[in-house]
Amino acid sequence: MGALRAEPARFHDWTTKSVRVVWNVFDVQLVLYALLLAIVGLMMAFTNSSGASPLASGTTFSRGLLWLGVAIIMFTVATALDYHWLKTFAWPLYLVNIGLLLISLFLGSGVGDVNRWVTIFGLQFQFSEIAKVLMIVVLANFLAARQDSLNSVWTVAGACVLAAPPLLLVLVQPDLGTSLVFGAILFGTLFLSGVSLPWIGLLAAAVVAAVPIAWSHVLKDYQKQRLLSFLDPTADPQGSGYQLVQSQIAVGSGGVGGKGLTNGSQGQLDFLPEQSTDFVFATLAEELGFVGGVAVLLLFCALLWRILLAGWRADDPFGVIFAGGLASMILFQVLVNIGMVIGIMPVTGIPLPFITHGGASLVSIAVGLGILQSINLRQSKPRW
Amino acid sequence: MTDIVLGTAPPRSRLLPRFLIFGLVVVLIAGVLATRLFDLQVARGGHYAGLARSNRITLQPIRSPRGLITDREGRPLVRNVPSFVVKVRAADLPYSQRATVVGRLAELLGIPPAEITAALDRNAGSRFDLIRIANDVPQQVARVIAEEHLDLPGVAVTVEARRDYTYGPLVSHVLGFTGAISAEEYETRRPDGYLTDDIIGKAGVEATYEKELRGAYGVEQVERDASGRTLSILQTVRDAKPGNSLELTLDVGIQRRAEKALRWATDLVGLKRGVVLVMNPQTGEILAMVSLPTYDNNLFARGISAGDYQKLLTDPDRPLLNHAISEQYPPGSTYKVVTGTGGLADGRITPRTKLDTKAYLEIGSYKYWEWNKRGWGPLDIYDGFGHSSDTFFFQVAGMLGIDRLAHWGRQFGFGARTGIELPGEAKGIIPTNEWKEDLFGQRVFAGETFQAGIGQGYNAVTPLQVLNAYAALANGGRLLQPQVVRRVLDPRGRVVREFEPRVIHRVDVDPQVLRTMRVAARRVLTIRHTSNLVELPIVVAGKSGTAQFGIRDRQGRLPYHSWFAAFVPRDPRPKAGDPDGYRAVARDDSELAVLAFAYDSRTKGNAAVEIVKYFLQLEYKLDVDLRNHDLVKRGNFYQSN
Repeated sequence: MGALRAEPARFHDWTTKSVRVVWNVFDVQLVLYALLLAIVGLMMAFTNSSGASPLASGTTFSRGLLWLGVAIIMFTVATALDYHWLKTFAWPLYLVNIGLLLISLFLGSGVGDVNRWVTIFGLQFQFSEIAKVLMIVVLANFLAARQDSLNSVWTVAGACVLAAPPLLLVLVQPDLGTSLVFGAILFGTLFLSGVSLPWIGLLAAAVVAAVPIAWSHVLKDYQKQRLLSFLDPTADPQGSGYQLVQSQIAVGSGGVGGKGLTNGSQGQLDFLPEQSTDFVFATLAEELGFVGGVAVLLLFCALLWRILLAGWRADDPFGVIFAGGLASMILFQVLVNIGMVIGIMPVTGIPLPFITHGGASLVSIAVGLGILQSINLRQSKPRW
Repeated sequence: MTDIVLGTAPPRSRLLPRFLIFGLVVVLIAGVLATRLFDLQVARGGHYAGLARSNRITLQPIRSPRGLITDREGRPLVRNVPSFVVKVRAADLPYSQRATVVGRLAELLGIPPAEITAALDRNAGSRFDLIRIANDVPQQVARVIAEEHLDLPGVAVTVEARRDYTYGPLVSHVLGFTGAISAEEYETRRPDGYLTDDIIGKAGVEATYEKELRGAYGVEQVERDASGRTLSILQTVRDAKPGNSLELTLDVGIQRRAEKALRWATDLVGLKRGVVLVMNPQTGEILAMVSLPTYDNNLFARGISAGDYQKLLTDPDRPLLNHAISEQYPPGSTYKVVTGTGGLADGRITPRTKLDTKAYLEIGSYKYWEWNKRGWGPLDIYDGFGHSSDTFFFQVAGMLGIDRLAHWGRQFGFGARTGIELPGEAKGIIPTNEWKEDLFGQRVFAGETFQAGIGQGYNAVTPLQVLNAYAALANGGRLLQPQVVRRVLDPRGRVVREFEPRVIHRVDVDPQVLRTMRVAARRVLTIRHTSNLVELPIVVAGKSGTAQFGIRDRQGRLPYHSWFAAFVPRDPRPKAGDPDGYRAVARDDSELAVLAFAYDSRTKGNAAVEIVKYFLQLEYKLDVDLRNHDLVKRGNFYQSN
């Protein structure tokens, strides 16, 4: 490896480095795990497109392919861009973020009163997915700038104030799940920013204290019903309780090796509600079995390892904190989504990264990983 | 690796524990999820595989037996009989097989495939809802469907209890019927545990007493196969609680006689609509409630065909409507009880006051005619009521004024629902100055007050209101809430709710005034205003009414309804010391009040009087037949009088 001297004060342009250097610092593993997870997602899209030809336009599978293409482009663009620019654009991005959420709220369509989807170019798009990644950027920028006053209560309070508007805008859509993800991002970024632990503990205590208030004033009846049904699936035999029972039957009946792709009777016979969206993991576990389920878990672990490693290597606080935010977002979604499917978490509409079908989710994670790769590429520190 | 890092790198060493904790959390979470997956898929995988392969677990409701209904003598009015029902669960019917399955079902059930598809598409609920396709399927067909269950995925044949109404059309307006729950009903009833394919009371006491009759459904966890058949019951989560039974105030015997009397007149004249009501004035119990035309509630209980339903809906005489409570008509002269009571109570007249009755009264250039176009000269309240003199009551109404007249109308329960526990009761209209100003921006004219005094003009009442007013007259001034349910019994026959008369209010008048009006009502018969009714060997008092409505014919005559409201003293046998029966009716002990209403009667005599006469002959098993068939023939009442 050649002598690579770097001053953080100066911008680095990757074009000034040799391809070999770039290749050395490019995290191939990160991309590999992400691609494998995306391929698993495509397999699930394929199995849920049975009936019609999977490649026909409009099927879950063909849309999945299209979105994967978009995601790869977005990843490449985000990697190429110097992430330091993001610091300059953090505030405009924050306003764009809030603007997007307001658009979803007023122009969005959805089921009943739920305004989650915005249709552009004939494709439905959930802006709140993009908002998650923008939130990480904004929070990382803010906390990075306050590295000198990490023990100040204003650092924590400022982060909360930043996180509050998007979180509330998503909550009133109403999308409880995504607003919880914002909460997870807030904690993840605070944790790796180095903010003193007592403040984080205090914030956690405040959240716990707010739960009863949110329960009685903020949550809608159907949300409460869904949240409770995981404790007692028999309480609502026709509704979400049924879904949970069916979901567990699907997972359990997959056994060790699974029934094979497209052979899951629970999912294929439409016993399983929402088998291509929030409950996609149930179909996965039914058709690919314990082996497939654990493989997906291991892939997520490996991906999170690479994300955290990128953070560890980052030589500026922004990189560290961004990695913390991205990792906590993915980890939280994995926990809540899979936990819901296997009956140990309440039912909230949180997608499983890479695997739940939804362009916005995939593209926003691709952008997040692209930024992370950009952080990898622009380190002055040697590899170790 | 010897390069020097410049600038302010983050204090990595300080963050090391946090990175380690983060990594630990990742491992921990993955471990928990993997453990649960292991538990579900490896440890209990066989169990779940069994459930998913051939059997599926589901929670299903246990329907509670619906409560029964009897008349006051304990005669069963409804039974629960088993009937085969065909339902489809969309989630179990793969879309690719839908056309074939629907086609075969249509063939077996004899209904158009489009109707089945429409029923499936209409379901707005979950794909797991059972959708009712056909009710009351013949056993033979049910067996074939059950045998073909492998070729008919998603189709389920179940046995459900259906209502079988013993007397059908005879008591359908009081009993009502049950039917499949509608989407709107389901939305409002969902919190009470109603199901999308549920049965619910739609009319009559089946609707008003839905809560008592239904009981509470239970829940059981069952295993079922791919076509929805229950293979075994895993556990009962909650037991079903059978519904309570109702004992009605109706007496089927009296109801039969009331209907017979009404049908005699309707068959003879071709009356289109008629009502006979029988009530105990002491308690408010409705003993008979007949509204013609009627309908067979068994049609609904079996699942009425679209054609039959359309026929009932488009019939201009509205057989589905209970004309005794749901439609309002002008009360005509029966309303004079209000005018007379008001005049006496407000001291405008005394029982001895005589008012001159002439051919007509004039207001400006407008003439208000006596019904016989001649008048009778000076009359007191007894003879004024007896002859039903219009000019007499014009004058009394004029003395009272419209608002005072309305006050006395409300005292007798007009202009307000009686509160009978049947759906769809109308309120009626009692005009006042305020009412007219709200509606037309004018006060009531003097002539309109005259009209109101004889129950014409704006006045609108239900037959039940008229009967209830005369019941209050007969019982000495207690305005009672008419009731159709006598007792509520639990499934073991223990009384849950005992009958109790419900007093709406006491008519705010000296009992002496009502006594005067009762004697005047007897005078209606003794003066022979009601032809030969007085010749019945029992004492009866009452008031007839001929209420004009609608549009004049070419001779300038209006069509009219006939009314007769009557009551019978507790001991109706004529006494030697009371040849005219005035003493008998002066008492307030009547236990039977009866009302007949003949819509658009246009008979020579008052058809309602003839109907009541025939009913009383039947009810008291009188050994005479005083029916005047001629009076019930078509003709114009005004020509013969």
